[in-house]
Amino acid sequence: MEDLAPKIIFWVFAALMLGSALIVVAGKNLVRSAFALLATFFSVAAFYVMLGADFLAGAQVLVYVGGILTLILFGVMLTNRIYSLELNTPRFQVVPGALVSAAIFMILVTVVRVTPWKQASIVEEGPTTARIGQALMNQYVLPFEVASVLLLIALLGAAMLVRRRTDL
Amino acid sequence: MDRLDAVSSLKYFVPELVLVLTLIGVLLCDLISKNRAPMERRLLIVLPSLFGLLVALFFSVSIYFSASGPDPSDAQALFSNMVAFDGFGSLLRILFIFTAIIILLFTIESRELRSVHHGELLVLLLTVTVALIWMANSINLLMIYLALETVSVASYIMVGYLKTDRLSNEASLKYILFGAVSTGTMLFGLSLLYGLTGSLDLYEIRAALMSEQVVASSGPALMVIIVLVLAGIGFKTATVPFHFWCPDVYTGAPTPVTAFLSVGPKVAGFAVLVRFFYGGMASSTGEQTWTMVGSVDWQTILMGISIITMTLGNIAALLQTNLKRLFAYSSIAHAGYIMMGAVALSDRGIKAMLAYVVVYLFMNLGAFLVIIVVHNNTGSFDIKDYAGIWRRSPMLTIVMGIFLFSLMGIPPFAGFLAKWYVFAAVIQAGLVWLAVIGVLNSAIGAFYYVKILKTMFMEGSDTAEPSSKLELHPLYAVLLFVLVVPNIVGLLLWGYLDRVTEYSHKLLDVM
Amino acid sequence: MIPLEYYLVVASALFSLGLYGMLTRKNAVNVLMAIELIFNSANINLVAFSRFVTGDTEGQVFALFVIAIAACEAAVALAIVMSLYRITKGVSLEDASVLKG
Repeated sequence: MEDLAPKIIFWVFAALMLGSALIVVAGKNLVRSAFALLATFFSVAAFYVMLGADFLAGAQVLVYVGGILTLILFGVMLTNRIYSLELNTPRFQVVPGALVSAAIFMILVTVVRVTPWKQASIVEEGPTTARIGQALMNQYVLPFEVASVLLLIALLGAAMLVRRRTDL
Repeated sequence: MDRLDAVSSLKYFVPELVLVLTLIGVLLCDLISKNRAPMERRLLIVLPSLFGLLVALFFSVSIYFSASGPDPSDAQALFSNMVAFDGFGSLLRILFIFTAIIILLFTIESRELRSVHHGELLVLLLTVTVALIWMANSINLLMIYLALETVSVASYIMVGYLKTDRLSNEASLKYILFGAVSTGTMLFGLSLLYGLTGSLDLYEIRAALMSEQVVASSGPALMVIIVLVLAGIGFKTATVPFHFWCPDVYTGAPTPVTAFLSVGPKVAGFAVLVRFFYGGMASSTGEQTWTMVGSVDWQTILMGISIITMTLGNIAALLQTNLKRLFAYSSIAHAGYIMMGAVALSDRGIKAMLAYVVVYLFMNLGAFLVIIVVHNNTGSFDIKDYAGIWRRSPMLTIVMGIFLFSLMGIPPFAGFLAKWYVFAAVIQAGLVWLAVIGVLNSAIGAFYYVKILKTMFMEGSDTAEPSSKLELHPLYAVLLFVLVVPNIVGLLLWGYLDRVTEYSHKLLDVM
Repeated sequence: MIPLEYYLVVASALFSLGLYGMLTRKNAVNVLMAIELIFNSANINLVAFSRFVTGDTEGQVFALFVIAIAACEAAVALAIVMSLYRITKGVSLEDASVLKG
């Protein structure tokens, strides 16, 4: 009986995630898509919790929900004519697009099923924040610094592009 | 091979540190010079950037020559196996910094960039340069992905730098959407690779792929992984089928940025390709050849990509009337030739790739400089507006001719050397027919390069007085000279290039 | 305990949905959202592998970096969208004035 609860939780969140993701990619209304994305991000965070990644779940909620989603909503609402901002690249129609992605999904599922994934002998349990922090400051110190350069440049670039005056 | 921690890695990392300090310094200079006169302000940002790049170039050249010849034991893995320090990366580091210097000088007198402030552009240029170095040296999946994204994000902004120009903005939007999808796809592949092998380190991945039980059962997974990862690499190198962005982005971006994109990220993309496939998915047999590790024949995949890329690039280039678009397709075709080196699965193949990118840098940047000079005078990128250039500036026509003949691969010029290297490498690998396809493609390529040259000799049909001389800024004249000389004396430098690539093709190896 | 494969299948589905959105949608912001789905699917993979295959936090660290990168990309992409929006709006206004004159 205790075994059933995690399964139910898993499937509830999986259904929520995929259902809202479907609205994101197939919905007609942009604002509705953005709110559906919120549900997707939350379910992904729930998955992280189930996988024992507590810190990451927090980061997911903070950055994705608090940052990226707000940004997207802000953009959508500020530029209400954004609906007309369409790409002039060749696009797939709904049916071929669906067929292609369904085929890719089938391939991925087959791969997942036939591959004998390794199993870890020891799983480190418990809160991950300290371990992630140590990893960032030891083994991953260079990527950490590279990421800071990336953040700096993204900040600079985004500000430059949106700023009105052209001479600065 | 040693495994160095962060502190002991720093002494191998001086050029990168200089570049990062420079980019922060230029950013500050830009801020404090806000109230100065435009010219003065321009100097205050250009000079520090140039100075930083030159210092970085000095350090990377001295690192290159202090390394005691072709000895693989010089190689180190820095920052807990995040980046490699080896001959391969040392050469590419010099190339990237050199390219950045050239592009920096391109931007100074470019008509497209005349009306905008250059501060952020130079900061972006410096960022891309240092990120290209990281990208070409990464030996860890996380580091590969992070460096690749840093290059991408900074180049999206560079493409859209003319923010009042619709074409530039559209190009940038197309670039970022296409780029994000490609790199996202690659990321999904990397995540599967991590799951399959249990490691992010390329050399541990190779060890895992060599173990018995993984080889037996990982075929389908590895196949999917390679296809997904090639999406990201293909995007950076602009190889088919991930080349769609290339013509539009090259056309929309400011020409100096286009020139940079056609060399920097493309070369770094090939460096990732070499690191990923030769570092993670192949092992050296010790006799100048490599064997694939794992159960997927990626050599055939790369071969297919190479053939389709060069053929499609060359054929599409034939149809273009806009010179920037033509050069976009031409650079796609060249990516196909470079890829041939990776197909050869031999030391000679890696050497050929390096030789090709060295020569490609000079001929392609040179051609783009001529495009910039002509645009500065005529304001057009259309081939038909190149009519009459011969009358207006015979010098420029001759120089362009040299670049074009070099791009074609005609013997006295350096381009021939580059082609010779890759064709010889694939022939040695027993793929004579691939070399034949390459030669046929060069023949197709000759058509459109000659077409440009022919137009330049034609009478100008436009009303503009044909006798008016083309203005050539002294700075550009010097740059043209710097770029054209290696193309002319290419064959004399054969022996030298051979020695350089002999040392530089050595990848860091733990085996 | 939910087996690893379940997570991978859900992640694959999310990836395919993202790909579908990217293939079919015309709207730039919509494509951007589809891209976020792809990033999230890869992150689920990374965290699941981190838990089941290696048993350490390596994959989680990778996922953390991916979140940071995704934020950068979204910011820059939306900045470009805004910039382009400003231009296209300007163009349409100009068209209107031409019609009037």
